[in-house]
Amino acid sequence: MHELSIAMNILEIVTQTCREQGYQRVDSVSVRIGRASGVMTEALNFAFECARSGTVADQARIVIEEVPVGGHCRDCGKGFQVDEAFVFACPLCGGTAFQITSGHELELAELEVDDEG
Amino acid sequence: MKVKVVKKILEANDRIAENNRKALRDKGVFCINLMSAPGAGKTTLLSRTITALKGRFRFGVIEGDIQGTHDAEVISALGVPVIQINTEGACHLDANMISDMLPEMPLDDLDVLVIENVGNLVCPAEFDVGENAKVMLLSLSEGDDKPLKYPLMFQKSEALIVNKMDLLPHLDVDIEKIRGDVKALNPELRLFEVSCRKGDGLDPWYTWLSERIKR
Ligand SMILES: Nc1nc2c(ncn2[C@@H]2O[C@H](COP(=O)(O)OP(=O)(O)OP(=O)(O)O)[C@@H](O)[C@H]2O)c(=O)[nH]1
Ligand SMILES: [Mg+2]
Ligand SMILES: [Zn+2]
Repeated sequence: MHELSIAMNILEIVTQTCREQGYQRVDSVSVRIGRASGVMTEALNFAFECARSGTVADQARIVIEEVPVGGHCRDCGKGFQVDEAFVFACPLCGGTAFQITSGHELELAELEVDDEG
Repeated sequence: MKVKVVKKILEANDRIAENNRKALRDKGVFCINLMSAPGAGKTTLLSRTITALKGRFRFGVIEGDIQGTHDAEVISALGVPVIQINTEGACHLDANMISDMLPEMPLDDLDVLVIENVGNLVCPAEFDVGENAKVMLLSLSEGDDKPLKYPLMFQKSEALIVNKMDLLPHLDVDIEKIRGDVKALNPELRLFEVSCRKGDGLDPWYTWLSERIKR
């Protein structure tokens, strides 16, 4: 359910950006959502459609890039990615001295705007 | 035309949370964000903790619930200042809701502010409200699959209280699995196994909390 707050936060940044830059209409909003962020993409899609009306992004699509959980292992020195939302051990060498480097993203990335008005 | 707008989605929330943290620090108030699934025992733990420690620390509480004032009434009966926030549908508290309530709290007279978040195992973990420590409860009756199904809150918390240990003989729950999965998800996490109903196992939690508040 917090996808609705996430959608509203996205729309707030979009609205503010458009106000500052004078964009009249937004056609798409691209976001990057980490697999470990706790946000479900289907729910975010739906929440965005509910929340966008009456904003400058009234007609906009949301384009969600899911970012897998990845890390860097200090035992084998290599980078890795996994399908799960968590990592217990390096999938390459089984080592546990790793750092998570991706998967927690909640970022706005790009807008497609109509700047003609 | 495409424009790059690289921004953290929760930037506004994080900024307000930082302001809350500073306002609390200026008053010397330590803030705990207490989170769990509905009914895991947050209010029961809080009642026990306040009763045990109120000779040492002055507590204040913000109760977050979707509706109702039951939890706030329970806490108020202990004689500590409490404010109820009804989120009216929202499944978590955010920094803005807390910021609105801070002026209502007698911060000058507090050592600890506990924020009991809305019962939910997923959403509250995402939203910084300006706390110094996130503390999570898991009740045994929720099952031993929860850490791996909902890893985020376990990863973000400093302490995990496994509650309702009195039910262990009656449930088909593997406590070793919970211990192992939690350790693997978050090696730093402090684990306390308690029964808030019976009052068992709470002393180590009180000791840890007291040290953490003073740090
Ligand atoms: N068996 C058992 N029941 C407990 C224990 N601790 C709490 N309960 C019961 O669990 C129920 C929920 O406890 P609460 O403290 O209200 O839980 P909560 O997390 O505050 O609930 P919400 O605020 O609604 O999310 C109550 O009926 C408690 O009496 C325990 O250690 N063992
Ligand atoms: Mg409660
Ligand atoms: Zn490795």
